[in-house]
Amino acid sequence: MCHVSVGHVGRAIEEAGIATTAVYVRAFGHVVDEMKLPRVLITNHPMGRPLGPVGDRQRQRAVVASALSLIDSATEPTVVDDLGPFRPVGG
Amino acid sequence: MADAPETFEEFRKSFSYGERSDLDFKFMKSLSDDEAAQFLAGLLAHVGDAYDHARLTDIIDYVIDWQARAYAPAPDAKRTWVYEEGPFATPAKPLADSRVALLTSSGHFVHDDDPEPFGVVGMTQQEAEERISEFLKVPPELSRVPVSFAPGELRVRHGGYDVTSAALDHNVAFPLDHLHDLQADGVIGELHDEAFSFMGAAAQMRLQKETAPEWAKMLRDAEVDVVLLVPV
Repeated sequence: MCHVSVGHVGRAIEEAGIATTAVYVRAFGHVVDEMKLPRVLITNHPMGRPLGPVGDRQRQRAVVASALSLIDSATEPTVVDDLGPFRPVGG
Repeated sequence: MADAPETFEEFRKSFSYGERSDLDFKFMKSLSDDEAAQFLAGLLAHVGDAYDHARLTDIIDYVIDWQARAYAPAPDAKRTWVYEEGPFATPAKPLADSRVALLTSSGHFVHDDDPEPFGVVGMTQQEAEERISEFLKVPPELSRVPVSFAPGELRVRHGGYDVTSAALDHNVAFPLDHLHDLQADGVIGELHDEAFSFMGAAAQMRLQKETAPEWAKMLRDAEVDVVLLVPV
């Protein structure tokens, strides 16, 4: 549900002329396709932790930076998979 | 007369807002009985393996795979929000010159600016979960978080997912610390002075027709160039 909600918001923001980029988890990747979202990074993280494990600043930052990089690199709707494993810090 | 014994179907569905509610495993409601049995048997096999091989990460990978399988729509499922094409706004500036705003559906808010859903002061996470069906009937409210917030001021509450990680480290779903760092490093031009969060479990039609366009206008009026979206 949340992923569809953000899809609505993203489409409205794009229609207002503002570029968006989003991070979706794999479990809801189908929403990205159904709603034709413009720039999306898909992670292999569990629901509730889309950017990475608690305390894993390196992984979280990499995901954020990668999603934002689509603003400069994508000239058409682009979905990028970043399906690195979810590895809790100290696990 | 004694109560009828719980069926396996009742058991697996009880993790989705039932007596065993556990939002990390509510996906079992979406599986068939056979699939849920397969999932649970496999989970126990992985736990048994972990005794000997300490491969706890195998358990995580296994559950994430099943979560994805459970949420994937069935081929014959009726899907409401399907589009042939989508809008694509061409960025006016490079990222390094852009004003960037964060907008998530993680349900974060500042402690003294609680959205107080349904007029409830200090709603707990448990109550948010128990009232999920009511949330689905009303449009969402957008919380504004000053990007200079002190870490201890941030709260999270959301009836749709397990907020344990997001409460321990907001950056798993509300990555403001990283946006500050990316601004300091010159990767983004400027971080908008407010970040935004809402609880995504909400009335979809009104969100799509009314709320989302209002939020888009607000962002345009604030001269935001780029929005990072994080659904949770």
